[in-house]
Amino acid sequence: MTERDQLAAEYALGLLEGEDLLAGRGLMAAEPEFAAMVAFWEGRLAPLLDEIGGAVPDEALWARIVAEIEAVPGGEVVSLKARVRFWQRAAAGAAMAAVGSVALLVLQPASTPAPTALPGPLVASIPIGDTPLRLGVTYLPDRKEMLVSASGLTADGVHDHELWLVPPEGELRSLGVVVPGREASMALDSETAALIRDGAQMVLTREPIGGKPDGQAAGPVVAEGAFATI
Amino acid sequence: MTAADTARERLKGAMVRLAAGDRAALEEVYRATSVKLFGICYRILGDRKEAEDALQDVYVNLWRRADRFDPERASPISWLAVFARNRAIDRLRSGRVQREAAPLEAAAEVADAAPLAEAMLIDAERTARVHHCLGQLEGYQRDNIRAAFFDGRTYAELAEAGGVPLGTMKSWIRRGMQRLKTCLEGAE
Repeated sequence: MTERDQLAAEYALGLLEGEDLLAGRGLMAAEPEFAAMVAFWEGRLAPLLDEIGGAVPDEALWARIVAEIEAVPGGEVVSLKARVRFWQRAAAGAAMAAVGSVALLVLQPASTPAPTALPGPLVASIPIGDTPLRLGVTYLPDRKEMLVSASGLTADGVHDHELWLVPPEGELRSLGVVVPGREASMALDSETAALIRDGAQMVLTREPIGGKPDGQAAGPVVAEGAFATI
Repeated sequence: MTAADTARERLKGAMVRLAAGDRAALEEVYRATSVKLFGICYRILGDRKEAEDALQDVYVNLWRRADRFDPERASPISWLAVFARNRAIDRLRSGRVQREAAPLEAAAEVADAAPLAEAMLIDAERTARVHHCLGQLEGYQRDNIRAAFFDGRTYAELAEAGGVPLGTMKSWIRRGMQRLKTCLEGAE
């Protein structure tokens, strides 16, 4: 196996963490060949999942799922776009062609832009002061998920650092407290996610342990950087 | 057509309708698969509450992005099972979960399994193949690969549990995966 194949196997098996995991996620988004290799492993190992017995979730869970689907602002737009993509692909198959064109007609008046490809990840590498350390931030628009890698940083026991998104207007939006030495993944709400684009600025501030206390001004800015497409 | 075939086709149909935005289809998929998928999330996360959050995440994401399922290429239950496992592992790696490993407790509670989902799962040939190929590995390779797959262990966790250096664990698993791949591709 090439090194790339090896990483795909490790990614599919779920062995990775830290920078290797970030690298794997980046390749999943950017390289169809890598994604296909991961899919090979997933498909071949899938029968093993049959060994895991079922379990009955709480009865209220279905209601929670419905509530979450209905609560998300813009959720309909997201699902509409997904639907358009689905039908575009489905329309290529003969069996689906008729249904597909009907669905596209129905969707057209909603003036949903038909995306041709999934948006790729955005990354930022934020140098910390005059040290050689960098904070790595990756945003996966596809999943509205942000990965913050602070693997080189160590905690001083007195301060935490908080990452902020600087929107074109309005207040800074907290992207959370950076955990030194760790790679953290977080889901972003749709409103914050919508503000992240190529060139979007971020700042890192020094705060008391636990992050900026409510009602107080943010601490001093110790680093800054911007998202860029890769 | 056997009962399992019928169930598989019904689920496939529901997945296609789901991708077209049919909310009733989502409930149908949930009713048919949630016991199986919850078992998977529970096994990996080892905590009921976390597993329920993961399961919620699975179906909400399924609704938003049902177009990712390609009915021409994958068996729906196997695709959903992989999807659930991946979401559970993402959750584990996000650092939000403080896991107390409890897979045995989880297994005991739910030994009755989900016969419906089981009967629908994947083709027999692939099932036999992966078991055969795992059987070709050395015991220490197989055990660690299984622990990664079923319990979501990382290299570091496996090395610690096995009392071997990280580099040793990596080379064990890498060689095991290499051999597994050759076998799965049918060259052995």
